[in-house]
Amino acid sequence: MKKQVRTILALTLGVLLALSALAGCTTGGAVPAGDGAEAPLKFTMTYSDNPTLPFREDWLVNTESEARYNLDITWEVIPSTDYTTKINAELATGTGYDVITYLGPSSGDQAALALSGAMAPISDYVDMGWAPNFSRRIEEWNMQAELDERRLSDGKYYFLPALFDKQFYDGGLILRDDLLEKFGMEAPTTFDELYEYLKACKEDNPESFPLTNLVGPQVTYRMSMPSFGMSVGRNASTGTWVLSWNYENKEYFPGAIDDSYKQYLEYFAKLYAEGLYDPEFLPEGDMWNIKMATGAAVASYAYYDQIGGIVAASEVEGISFNMVPPLEGPGGAYHQPKARLSAGLVFTAAAQKRDDFEQLVRAIDNMFYSDEAAELWSLGKEGVTFTRNADGSVEFIPEALESVDGIYKYLQVNYGTGSASSQFIWINEQEMLKYDENYAAINAVVAEMDGVPLSPPTPILSEENAEQASLLQAALRDAFEIWNNDFITGAKSLETDWDAYVQEMKDKGIDELCQIYNDSRR
Amino acid sequence: MVDKSMGSRIFNIFLYLFMAVIIVIFVFPFFYMFSLSTSGMKAIMNNRVTFFPVDFNIDAYLRIFEYPGFFQAYRNTIIYTTLGTFFSLIMMMLFAYPLSKSFLKGRGVILKLVIFSMFFSGGLIPNYLLIRNIGFANKIWAILIPFAINQFNLIIMVNFMRSIPEDIEEAAMIDGLGYFRILGWIVVPLSKPAIATIGLYTAVFFWNDWFNAMLYLNTEQRPVMMILRNIVVNAANAGEAQGYGERGIAEMASKSAVILVSVIPIIVLYPFLQRFFVKGLTVGSIKG
Repeated sequence: MKKQVRTILALTLGVLLALSALAGCTTGGAVPAGDGAEAPLKFTMTYSDNPTLPFREDWLVNTESEARYNLDITWEVIPSTDYTTKINAELATGTGYDVITYLGPSSGDQAALALSGAMAPISDYVDMGWAPNFSRRIEEWNMQAELDERRLSDGKYYFLPALFDKQFYDGGLILRDDLLEKFGMEAPTTFDELYEYLKACKEDNPESFPLTNLVGPQVTYRMSMPSFGMSVGRNASTGTWVLSWNYENKEYFPGAIDDSYKQYLEYFAKLYAEGLYDPEFLPEGDMWNIKMATGAAVASYAYYDQIGGIVAASEVEGISFNMVPPLEGPGGAYHQPKARLSAGLVFTAAAQKRDDFEQLVRAIDNMFYSDEAAELWSLGKEGVTFTRNADGSVEFIPEALESVDGIYKYLQVNYGTGSASSQFIWINEQEMLKYDENYAAINAVVAEMDGVPLSPPTPILSEENAEQASLLQAALRDAFEIWNNDFITGAKSLETDWDAYVQEMKDKGIDELCQIYNDSRR
Repeated sequence: MVDKSMGSRIFNIFLYLFMAVIIVIFVFPFFYMFSLSTSGMKAIMNNRVTFFPVDFNIDAYLRIFEYPGFFQAYRNTIIYTTLGTFFSLIMMMLFAYPLSKSFLKGRGVILKLVIFSMFFSGGLIPNYLLIRNIGFANKIWAILIPFAINQFNLIIMVNFMRSIPEDIEEAAMIDGLGYFRILGWIVVPLSKPAIATIGLYTAVFFWNDWFNAMLYLNTEQRPVMMILRNIVVNAANAGEAQGYGERGIAEMASKSAVILVSVIPIIVLYPFLQRFFVKGLTVGSIKG
């Protein structure tokens, strides 16, 4: 018996010892600065970790930035799926992090957190000239008005956004161009021509449903609706499901009951009725890739960088895809609207309290917004990832050029460039160097036709209005979803039931919601 | 040796056949997942994987194992699971034993408080503040201490201990043992089936827990489930935006590999604990 007690005691003690040792590990000591040299600036920065390019602290972009600007960064790597949850909890309880990346507090919870003092009002410090590189970009690219849109109700903005010199055309209608050739057709430029193409494909393979959705109808909607003159649904450009932005009058209108939306539905109901539009609206898992790779579908709104994946998975002889510029519809030829400013860098209240806050802001400005930084985070470092020819053109290292994943992905995974979580200057021309010529050519065409409109503004809703709007929106959203589905599948007729639908949406307050939005414009 | 009758032999044959079918039913999903996780992307996409792997490769596993910090995270998970289960069992025994005594005053109130906390909690932010303010943030205690006692398991434990005949304890007391010794030398050994069951539940909880670790711990301390979950969820979201293009691994392969990597170690525990899942240990412990 005594022996047993001793064993238990010994075990407990052993575990306690091991634990105290572990607890000691977690704190981690500060490293004193080397003699003579100025101590590096120490701070904590978060990173939203996307597993297709798992974060590495020893990525060239990180080590090079630390060396260039004498920084000592503690990276807090958070899985991208849980990023917002973690960041919101941190901010709500007074985080110890200094800089939060990939965040753009413009509305909702994060705007509330910003206004409650969890984040530093960075606009004040930009005005004081602490972020000269950032300010220069805003001026050069003529973005002041767009930046002003990001101000919250106190007239300040709380993040340094990622800046895009032009809206990219990174996704759109992708279709089988080997079939175009087979049928002797040109790539469609209008929705009528798309219909002809889909019809020809259906005749060729009656088992197939030529047009299919990536992830869900919201992707198809958001990319094709603007050509009909509105954008509604889950990914509506206004974020309201039911309102759209009128680019001419510069005001919101109830897109979900507009005739343009009716026309859109008529078109898709026709595709559906004739078996041209896949009845499986929400393909799960590999389903989309399988359909596209096996020829069960031949066209879809998707992203350019997905073409490689489907071609690689396919066993269909001669299969080839291409992305076409936005198709022309009754409202013009437009892709889904995009913002030139997106999620960027937030300085926390803890950072603002630091004595060296100015130094920190200046360091971040240098690290992400200077010319050298814009090159580093996009292309890497000269002599490491690329060399320059005599005429100044960029030549990537052979490993990147020969990589089966393509230059873009190769550099991303191995050097950390081109990650949406940490690149904050996006220059279209520079980005296109990392893709094939075809992609660059399509982008040039789309830029020429002004095919990617700017995102509509977000209104500043007072607390009362925000609550009212979200109540109205919830009811409208449900009705919209049900009717949208019924109209496309033919369960409800666009000729006889449309008026009843419009009436229901009006009864549920679509006009009031629109009024609130228009009244709250800046 | 007694000769087995014909009937008994036939019965045995059927028994074995039946068991074989059951085993196949249980093992097949794992084998199929193994096949999916080791098959080529083309084979999966074109639906050619039926039973055995086609175009065998281990890319999906490499992707998991090459994830930065994967092995450190795996080690963390093992530490959290071992320590968490150990603590949890100790705390639960210490709590359950007194509660199993019907003469304990206020027992009903304490039990009601325990049950109350099963249904009502402070919510995410208050809990977060609590943990930060007691200095647990970024310490492993943050995911061990607050979850050491699971109310449901506690109630099972209390009921189990109540079923231990009081006569045994009385006999021990007459022999001069105090309550702590009775707990350690008599009640705990007699509660092995309950400890094994609850220990397993608890181990599975700590093994699977990623949410608390995500909230309270830092990058170095993350458990492996956080990484695996991120891989699976992102594979499912692939295509919602640009830059998600995959490295030639089918989502099914990724998912299957993740499932195998995450469940195999915990499944291996079951056979070892099985011997404790034997009831009736108390039979014969009292004479007369």
